[in-house]
Amino acid sequence: MIRFEHVSKSYGGTLVLDDLSFEIAPGQLAVLIGPSGCGKTTTLKTINRLIETDKGDIYVDGRSIARLNKVELRCSIGYVIQQIGLFPHMTVEQNICVVPKLLKYSKERCQKITHEMLELVKMPYEEYAHKYPNQLSGGQQQRIGVLRALAASPPIVLMDEPFGALDPMTRLVLQEEVRRLQQKLNKTIVFVTHDMDEALTMADTVIFMEKGRIVQMASPDEMLRNPASDLICSFMGKRSLNNQHLPQTVADIMRDKVVTVTKDHGVRASVELMSRKNIDTLILTNADGSYAGVVSVDRIKRSGKGYKTVEPLMNRGYPFSYEDEDGQVAFDKLIDGGVNYVVVLRRDRTVAGIVTKTSMARSMAEAVWGNGE
Amino acid sequence: MTDFLEIYGRQIAQAAGTHLYYVLLSVAIAFAVSLTLGILLSRAPRWANIILPLLSLFQTVPGIVFIGLLFLAIGIVPATIIIALAIYAIFPILKNTYVGIIEVDESYREAAKGCGMSALQALIRVELPLALPAIISGLRMSLVYTVSWAVLAAMIGLGGLGDLIFAGISSNNNALILAGALPAALMAILCSLGIDLLRGILIPRPLRRDVL
Repeated sequence: MIRFEHVSKSYGGTLVLDDLSFEIAPGQLAVLIGPSGCGKTTTLKTINRLIETDKGDIYVDGRSIARLNKVELRCSIGYVIQQIGLFPHMTVEQNICVVPKLLKYSKERCQKITHEMLELVKMPYEEYAHKYPNQLSGGQQQRIGVLRALAASPPIVLMDEPFGALDPMTRLVLQEEVRRLQQKLNKTIVFVTHDMDEALTMADTVIFMEKGRIVQMASPDEMLRNPASDLICSFMGKRSLNNQHLPQTVADIMRDKVVTVTKDHGVRASVELMSRKNIDTLILTNADGSYAGVVSVDRIKRSGKGYKTVEPLMNRGYPFSYEDEDGQVAFDKLIDGGVNYVVVLRRDRTVAGIVTKTSMARSMAEAVWGNGE
Repeated sequence: MTDFLEIYGRQIAQAAGTHLYYVLLSVAIAFAVSLTLGILLSRAPRWANIILPLLSLFQTVPGIVFIGLLFLAIGIVPATIIIALAIYAIFPILKNTYVGIIEVDESYREAAKGCGMSALQALIRVELPLALPAIISGLRMSLVYTVSWAVLAAMIGLGGLGDLIFAGISSNNNALILAGALPAALMAILCSLGIDLLRGILIPRPLRRDVL
């Protein structure tokens, strides 16, 4: 239905589309997604020639669009923009009929179309057709925006972050509705978003772009299972099924903000530090920064009298593990050792952090439910 | 009072007629010129940034001076006063047309283009209707100003309500001054009301609010 062949585009020396080739099958909802500046919107706008390409060809229905009349092309491709862009001086009916009127449909036919269109989104004609956009809610406005794009029954509809300006609830409802309309009317839709949830919910095919190139083009399932790059993983965040992203090493589950002092630290100063930081154990290091041992506030209280530094009170045999070890190692030590935490060391024996029951629970929770953004 | 009207009634009516004729004709010319120019300038904002400041500078030249110059060039014909008034009436309409079009939100332009409108269709169906409130308020300004500037026609012997005012001043006749000034004020108010009526007809409800 839509085919890109080696399409490139640059603005003032910066390549925004870099030799793009892909194809979108008829009746599919393809979502373009990626970080800002990745070229997704540019790609979309080349399809109705709001942006002209420098190199390569784009075919719609087997015909190169460069050879089609721009205005005819745009009349045969619906277009929905983020700012909705309903014309404020026109009623709902006039807005819906913008394209049919450009195509010189008769008045009766335009009115019939308005009826059918409003029917699709269950907005009664009598109630809404003669209202102006500013009398509608944001969600209703964008429904009309979508209807305007569908009015002349174009086989293809382009949507440029159409729900970006809507509140989350309305957005969900409209996603559902567009999906339903797309299947009912069998449209080919190209949809730009930066919201991975939206992409995964709506798409038949997700096209992930970065720096003007396609990083991965796959079904939502496939992308969830096998994301092609770290960037895609981070876009999917909590939604990813990829094991790589489950906490694996000790470093993934540790807390990295810990209080360390050298082992010649004074006893009194150590107690003060612990009470100030609200902790009950200090990690002690040698003068060169390597791990030496730990000292607990209980131990100091019990037998700290008479000592100047904490070194003699230090527990050298406290459980520790290395940060690149399997997370399970630290987990076992923590549970089996009956201790409050496990010290985590780098391979050069400097202190990297600690694993506590809380930090472990938190990283597990993040893996399961997402990081609560 | 009755006597006064008996003596001057015809003269007042005639002067008011001439006055209105000058005003309407010159504003009509100004409207046509500035609408065209405003649209052209909105296609080339770079030129607008040169031309609009120049015109606004010109606007500061006193009307009397300019009419004097035109009088020297053309002579005592109605064209002199009509040209002068039209030129002064251009600027408010031109500026509002230009600004009105330029300030049409980019999203509407993009929607129009994306729907398949040609540049001309977008201008006629989207940009001008959205700029209309601004254009009409520019028209109102020009019309009201021109009513008072047209008084200057009498200075070069071309009649209008200015005749009565100047005659009243030179003969120290306050009644005569008022006989010229009051109809002029009334004319300005009526013109303004006429514009309100026009606005009500031309501008759809949702756009009416954001007008000066």
